[in-house]
Amino acid sequence: MSYSNKVIISMVINNENYDDLTVETRQHLGDFLRDLGFKGTHLGCEQGACGACNVLVDGESVRSCLMLAVQANGKNITTVEGLETSEMEIVKDCFVKNNAMQCGFCSSGMLMTTYEIIKSKRKYSREEIREMISGNYCRCTGYQAIVDAVEDSLNKINVGM
Amino acid sequence: MKSPAFSYYEAKDLADAINVKKTDDDAVILAGGQSLLPTLNMRLSNPSVLIDISEIKELREIKIEDGFLCIGAMSSHSKVMNNKDVNEVLPILCKILSQVAHPAIRNKGTHGGSVAYGDPAAELPAFAVLVDAQIVLSGFSGERIVSAKEFYKGLFETSINSDEILTSVKYPINQNNKQLFFDEITRRHGDYAMAGLVGSIVQKNKINEEINFVFFGTGDKPNEAPKTCEYLLNNEYNYTDIKDILKTDIEFASDISSSSDMKAHLSAILVGRMMKELN
Repeated sequence: MSYSNKVIISMVINNENYDDLTVETRQHLGDFLRDLGFKGTHLGCEQGACGACNVLVDGESVRSCLMLAVQANGKNITTVEGLETSEMEIVKDCFVKNNAMQCGFCSSGMLMTTYEIIKSKRKYSREEIREMISGNYCRCTGYQAIVDAVEDSLNKINVGM
Repeated sequence: MKSPAFSYYEAKDLADAINVKKTDDDAVILAGGQSLLPTLNMRLSNPSVLIDISEIKELREIKIEDGFLCIGAMSSHSKVMNNKDVNEVLPILCKILSQVAHPAIRNKGTHGGSVAYGDPAAELPAFAVLVDAQIVLSGFSGERIVSAKEFYKGLFETSINSDEILTSVKYPINQNNKQLFFDEITRRHGDYAMAGLVGSIVQKNKINEEINFVFFGTGDKPNEAPKTCEYLLNNEYNYTDIKDILKTDIEFASDISSSSDMKAHLSAILVGRMMKELN
């Protein structure tokens, strides 16, 4: 049986429609997004370990290197460029204020994981924050500042208080 | 690296997926893809076509039926972890899943995918063996059930036939007053364990009547340890003895993180933690 190695897909990215785009079936979502110009999605290891490429698919964080572009057909994608809710604006401010960006390579992935933390609407200890971001590598080793930023965000957004 | 070229087929229903699988030996089922995509990106596998089964709604059901917690193959780890029924009848499964990888991977990785892939370092195959879950397979000639104890044959080797798809995993709810235990030792939260243990104890009048261990990350498949269990029914825990007996039960296999002796050491430590917690 033979099937095509190319498919035509459509999706919503950061609230804009992208229709009838031809992709190779083997292309992962991360490469697909970057080819479209969403360069805020960073590719590190491309084997699921580093978390730099995390994006939101239908509101849930996902490794974009471990999802094919064709699997995102019909889905709603949010990249770091589209993280514009009032809560995420606070989070971004907290990351800047706490010096949690450093080189910036891991930041988009870290922000996606922070989105998951904020979304769950409960309190987190510093230990639990560390567990949540354990799937995101920061090679500047700026974890202390990142945990500070997430904690600061939770306090400012008043989650579960 | 980038993945090799392959075709993609979105299955309309289960019969459709089985049909495609039957006609092509090199076809591979794509569930959540959280183990498959890395192996593709590293060019460790070279399928002709990926059969995407994510749109088959019936595979996402989680329900309690006839004394079993039935988890549809395509239920994501996050969905299972946050499911009310699972939290009520088998809370240890939620505890286990919280140690499976990270949020972004749990959102996509599936229950059936993990059980079917049979990674010897993964938690779910070991837990399925411990409670002897029923593994439901659908193939061209219908459905059959394999007990988890019979399911794992060797390194990434299971009893799934080439025309079959794992459709659900059924966990017996009534554990006969068994106390269940789970712990693992990892280098980073969410990583595969250097060694991990799921275990159960049945006690009568504070005396241990039955002990079961299944280790993961230790060998070529989920490892049971009958001699160690037998020893602990009659003797107190003692690290040195347990480590020696474990070595007669399990052929510890070294990996990138630890030697076989290190794995025996960690396994003995885990047994100690379990005996302390449940006694």
